[in-house]
Amino acid sequence: MSELEESTPISYEEIPWNDWAKENCDPFKAAEKPEALDDIVVLDLSYGSFAGLYCSSLLAEYGAKVIRVEPPEGDIARKMTPFGLKIKDTGLAYIVEGRNKYHITLNLETEEGRDILRSFIPKVDVLIETFKPGYLDSLGIGYRQLSKINPGLIYCAISPYGHFGPKAKSKKPDYDVIHQAMSGMTWTTGIPEEYEEYPEHTRVPTKLGPWMGWYVGGGFAAFGIMTALFYRNKTGKGQFIDVVPAEAQAKTNNYYIQYYHTKKRVVGRIANFDPAVFVYTLIRAKDGMAFMAGFSDINFYALTSIINRPDLREKYPSIKERLTPSTWPECLAEIEKWSTQRTVKEIIQATLDYTGDGTCVAGEVLKPIESFKEENWWLRGGLRKVNDPNYGELSVQGITAKFEKTPGRIKWICRPVGADNEIIYTDLVGLTKEKIEELKKKNVL
Amino acid sequence: MSGVEKDLESLPYTEYIREIMNPDEIFEKPEPLKGIRVLDIGTLIFGPMVATYLAEFGAEVIHVEMPGRGDTMRPLAPFADFHRNLAAGFEATNNSKYHIAIDMRTPEGKELIYKLAKRSDVVVENYRPGTTDRWGVGYRQLSKINPRLVYISMSGFGQWGPFTFRPSYDAVAQATSSLIESTGFPDAIPLKAGAWIGDYYGAMMGAFCVMVALYWRDKTGQGQYIDHPQAENLMRNMDWTWIYIGLTGKNRERYGNKDVAIVPSDIVKCKDGFVAIAAFKEDEFRGLCEAMNRLDLFEKYADIDERLKEENQDVIYSALHEWAREKTVKELEDLGEKFGFASNKVYSSEDQYNDEHWRARKAIWIYDDPIFGSLAEVAPTPKLSETPGRVKWTARPTGIDNEHIFIRLLGLTKEEIDELYKKGVIGKWDPNVFFSCPPSDWDEKSGLFYP
Repeated sequence: MSELEESTPISYEEIPWNDWAKENCDPFKAAEKPEALDDIVVLDLSYGSFAGLYCSSLLAEYGAKVIRVEPPEGDIARKMTPFGLKIKDTGLAYIVEGRNKYHITLNLETEEGRDILRSFIPKVDVLIETFKPGYLDSLGIGYRQLSKINPGLIYCAISPYGHFGPKAKSKKPDYDVIHQAMSGMTWTTGIPEEYEEYPEHTRVPTKLGPWMGWYVGGGFAAFGIMTALFYRNKTGKGQFIDVVPAEAQAKTNNYYIQYYHTKKRVVGRIANFDPAVFVYTLIRAKDGMAFMAGFSDINFYALTSIINRPDLREKYPSIKERLTPSTWPECLAEIEKWSTQRTVKEIIQATLDYTGDGTCVAGEVLKPIESFKEENWWLRGGLRKVNDPNYGELSVQGITAKFEKTPGRIKWICRPVGADNEIIYTDLVGLTKEKIEELKKKNVL
Repeated sequence: MSGVEKDLESLPYTEYIREIMNPDEIFEKPEPLKGIRVLDIGTLIFGPMVATYLAEFGAEVIHVEMPGRGDTMRPLAPFADFHRNLAAGFEATNNSKYHIAIDMRTPEGKELIYKLAKRSDVVVENYRPGTTDRWGVGYRQLSKINPRLVYISMSGFGQWGPFTFRPSYDAVAQATSSLIESTGFPDAIPLKAGAWIGDYYGAMMGAFCVMVALYWRDKTGQGQYIDHPQAENLMRNMDWTWIYIGLTGKNRERYGNKDVAIVPSDIVKCKDGFVAIAAFKEDEFRGLCEAMNRLDLFEKYADIDERLKEENQDVIYSALHEWAREKTVKELEDLGEKFGFASNKVYSSEDQYNDEHWRARKAIWIYDDPIFGSLAEVAPTPKLSETPGRVKWTARPTGIDNEHIFIRLLGLTKEEIDELYKKGVIGKWDPNVFFSCPPSDWDEKSGLFYP
């Protein structure tokens, strides 16, 4: 190794890598550094869709000026909250995605409201909307019309079936469960019919707990917007972006389309196994559940060494044997003879202590309330406590990625309906205070 | 020109959008990331997939593997069932890239990486934190060669912190973030997603971060480093979970398919399949109650706050399941259209593949690969009108593009390359490892970029 190092023209740094990374990418020093997107203005018109809200959150985290446009009565997404739990009339999920956004109201069903929207457009770089396809077009404020006012406009539409194709005219609304169901992932998630030890109503295709359809759709939308902004920097041209969260989530659904095309076979519900890698599964421990993996030959060697079962290597010598579905419950039962005698912590320690060939990986399966207590997230800013003047002290998701030079940040957590009308309408559209009051009375704002 | 514009003006909306999105004209349009070169030195999914998303929008991606067996992802085929030596998992994770093979732990291998990094805009890696730094191909080294470089490290738990040295797979991130413990029914087991969502979706968020950094580089000329942790990304997407726990001190339980924050929103079992149904807004809920012939439910629970009360949720969800049991998938889908509530079959890959709507959108991308023949991918997402994404070719045999890259990009001579082959610094596929090879009936010419 030392010979290799000497031969390179690059000198090695003194401090360990991890310390360098912490020092240079510390999310708690974000305020000292610039913001990557601080020259971007985003109008987020989304309604009842966390795909739209998450998409604009991502842009806002990196410095875009995001203006949330709600109807005078507020976005119905403010009402989507577990068991009706709200703070100051706003649901918990909405508070999380209100971050860094200016909140204004505008009634798009009035001509005056639409005129005000049009007056925004020359100053806007990105518009996000989640209405039914054609709704804004029918009001005269769709892509067709707005792109004439501002040819550089990036117009991102998010909807369950998209804005073209035979089902684009569907009257069906946008919900997370629909995206998840259509994505193909719900089909493969869940307990198979034949596992009779589980109650019948639990042996069904199962959606992921949180709103992953919406979040994945919003994430892909943000990528599309950045790609379009990058292109606009070179050409000045804006464009239309058509986001279908189910198509986005299908893109994350392994290789199931690829496999169907070549083999005409469908992968069904697989419980906690995996059709392409075994061992890669949840196992029972003395005190809960753990995850364990050792699937390539060398790593299966490691796993069977750790549990001291070399006989399993003879029985399942290659991936061919290990990827036969009948193997899975059979071999799992053998591994669980070992794992059920140990705690989750002991299982993980055993894999960490192993020094032979290959690697066996184990992990804890944490309940949300357990995960919440892990120091790791709080130290890295993945979870943050914020003290908001309107909403109080709250624990929320922080910023995922840690950037060295333009870190994301949370500047504020959320705002009440219409809280920023005055500052935005004065600043960007030049309305007077009196005019704003008048428009409020007319239910335009 | 004005005639064309007039035509577009008069079209009904969705036809107008189809015109500007036209899936048949994708290859006639420009690629937004053309001119961006990505050095993809990672393995498996979490790193390489970042580069794939960029490749689909026009970046030139060079995927570096170990000579011989190549990427650890190459044998990942469901049920060990390969298609002409190609594993579906490797296929889904790599398209439209150049495949070269360098042993970057050797001094000469490292030299090659330096030369490539000098000419690249982005480096993506997903080894254990600190590994590339130790190898001499980390951010600290490569950013000195090329200060404009955007270098992204994809890892389970990030580059520092108590968990940083934990080995990680998709399922570990799913388990630690508690995605698994919030999925499934309370009276059965917690469930892993039926796919590597932490990898494929996490990689998308990595691609988003790269674009943010490139956007900033356009303004300032400066590259930078990005630490992207997979588990934290899944935690970011746990909607109301953390704020709820912080406020109430209560756990977020597993609720099966029913949503406790949007009522009703559930998956029902009907006569011939499973259907997702949701109706939250007042008019949608009224429509659903009318379809169910249960206007009494609407009268009682029109108010959203009433619907969200735990005891009322049970009443509404029970009624929904009972009603749906005697219906067919088609009936439930049609009723949704008629009464304005959301309803859609739980799709299998076969349903998606054969769905006329998805086909018309080219959401399923069927193409001929010059080496492996007819293949299908989920199309590049999202769809852009001016600069759409595209799939050009699938994953390629180990090292097949060595000459193309080393001669045409780095300017090496044939003699220098032969020397590197001899020393094992670079290499091609191993004939004894079938999943690193072209198909057995390959003509040794098709699909080659060089000569």
